[in-house]
Amino acid sequence: MVKIFIDEKPLEVEEGTTVLNAAEQAGIDIPHLCYHSAFLPEGNCRMCLVEIEGLPKLELACSTQVREGMKISTKSEKVIEARKGVLEFLLAEHPLDCPICDKAGECKLQDYYEEYGLFESQFEESKEKREKRLKIGKNLILDQERCILCTRCVRFLRDVTRTHELGVFNRGISSEIHIYEGLSVENNYSGNLAEICPVGAITDSDFRFKTRKWFLKKEESICPLCSRGCNIYIEYHPGFPRFSVPKRVYRVKSRENQEVNGFWICDLGRYGYSYIDEGRLNQIVENVNHPLSELNLEKILLFISEKLKRLYHMKKTSHIALILNTWLSNEELFLINKIFRIDLNVEKIFFVDPPEGEKDDFLLTSERTPNKRGAEEIGFDFKPLDLETLGNGTQFLMAFGPHLSHHFSLTEIKPVFDKIETKLLFTSFSNEMNALFDIVFPTALIAEKEGSLTNLEGKVQKFSQALMPLGESQPEWKIMVDLAKKLEVNFNFYRQFSSPEIIFQEMGKEITFFEKRK
Amino acid sequence: MIKAIEYFIEILRGSVITARHFFVNMFFHILKVMGIKTKRKGAVTIQYPEEKKELASRHRSLHRLMKRENGKPRCVACMLCVTACPSECIYVEAAEDPDLEIQKYPAKFIIDLSRCCFCGFCVEACPEDAIRMDTDQIELAQYSREDLLYDLDKLIG
Repeated sequence: MVKIFIDEKPLEVEEGTTVLNAAEQAGIDIPHLCYHSAFLPEGNCRMCLVEIEGLPKLELACSTQVREGMKISTKSEKVIEARKGVLEFLLAEHPLDCPICDKAGECKLQDYYEEYGLFESQFEESKEKREKRLKIGKNLILDQERCILCTRCVRFLRDVTRTHELGVFNRGISSEIHIYEGLSVENNYSGNLAEICPVGAITDSDFRFKTRKWFLKKEESICPLCSRGCNIYIEYHPGFPRFSVPKRVYRVKSRENQEVNGFWICDLGRYGYSYIDEGRLNQIVENVNHPLSELNLEKILLFISEKLKRLYHMKKTSHIALILNTWLSNEELFLINKIFRIDLNVEKIFFVDPPEGEKDDFLLTSERTPNKRGAEEIGFDFKPLDLETLGNGTQFLMAFGPHLSHHFSLTEIKPVFDKIETKLLFTSFSNEMNALFDIVFPTALIAEKEGSLTNLEGKVQKFSQALMPLGESQPEWKIMVDLAKKLEVNFNFYRQFSSPEIIFQEMGKEITFFEKRK
Repeated sequence: MIKAIEYFIEILRGSVITARHFFVNMFFHILKVMGIKTKRKGAVTIQYPEEKKELASRHRSLHRLMKRENGKPRCVACMLCVTACPSECIYVEAAEDPDLEIQKYPAKFIIDLSRCCFCGFCVEACPEDAIRMDTDQIELAQYSREDLLYDLDKLIG
């Protein structure tokens, strides 16, 4: 441990820490543009200059290591003067097209310029003309005029993806970020470039010009598109009071979690968010003329519980079948396990998940099952859906999820389903398979509910509700708790579950795997 | 008792002032009707809508979107007017312009005049001087609310 003083504040940090990281630990913000904690310091933006007692010149906070008794001042007159100078030079070539720049509002250059109040330019020379709209990858557009040459993008492609598509070309005032001939940033992590760019030089064509940053709200969530469970931010538009906006979610950004995804997310997770708004089911669908009129969840659950009770009392639970999927959270799977497998002795439980996809050697896994590990730990064995077993004497079927259409064709599945007396589906999406079921009830997505998922490494991650459930949708855990109450088995046990948090605590008591992860 | 008398005296005085204004105005008005020019104008009211008062030069009236020399809107869809608008009555959707100097143009620009409070913040917020409120049009009543939704074509007019 080394004792240092930052702005006269005594601080003990580990040996080898840089001044910038030490200041961060002390809660002091040193402006920086090129430094990113994922990479080694480069020191080319010169924004993080600090004054160190005893040294004749200002030093770079990002690459200077602390020494015993070091006295650092980050707000002295000399430092502020230096920062102003650095900003002025950066602006010498930077076009002030903030009104049409997608980064405006979250641009660090804009923030620092505002902070140091340099509003009058001393430059008379006109700015260099460069490429304004260079397509460097399937989703990326480079504006060389806005670039401040921090080389974060070059370092990302060098250190993280190791694909080396971008580089700094030419020298002096002519130096620019450009793409190597014949290459294009096509790797599965390209979207991160737009996120780490401190200015608006690399923009995302998916988000480009769609809206402005300050209209969006940011909520934490977990990506359910593969079994990695990357931590993400969902940025959504809450809507204008008098005009409707075309969609809710405008972009997904990565959320730092060193244990799972580091700083990054893959392009599948970043650009695959359209499922949140497109093709959704937002109301109850009734496909047969049922005696129930004006359906609501209450009536549906009453209907289900009566059917189940009758089958249970007639000792015909082998006539009940369930189709689950791994988009269900730990809590929901735990409840389903308790109600159907333990209380009702149902044996025909199948899992229908999205088919496996491509994988890479970094974050993306081939399994598109966000909670497979959780289902295994709870005690489900993964039986894929077998139509013969399902058709064999089943009278009552409860299915979850929209993934049937990935594995079976309508003609294949229809004869089997026609034999089943009562079929219910709980899904978030409307697709052609929904017509096979008597009643289809809309459910909330992972982004719209609370709960936890277990990723393939066995890490249990809680997620909170980012968006409101669409239309009449309800989270599955709520449906399950209400159903359990209606079934009147163990009423007092299920009555306590008013939130996923309480269910999780109960899980911790019953399943040792979840115990230590409370 | 004295207070009651004072009360009636004040009423009488008031009536005299009102009557004096009436007769003086009437006198000048009759002169004007007869075609005799006087320094003073008789009645101060204007016979709206036949007669219209000139608007002050700094007035705010119906918005208009300014055009570039080639007829395209000057607006770059930066949405600062949307941000500044206190009654949230502006809606803009941006699109990519092939011209690299412009880059961004409004594919949709709607002002809901039924909600607009004519504060002029949109004009102040605009970095491109693309929106102005100087059309001299202040009679905006319509028979339906939909007619008060002014789109790009109507605003650029």
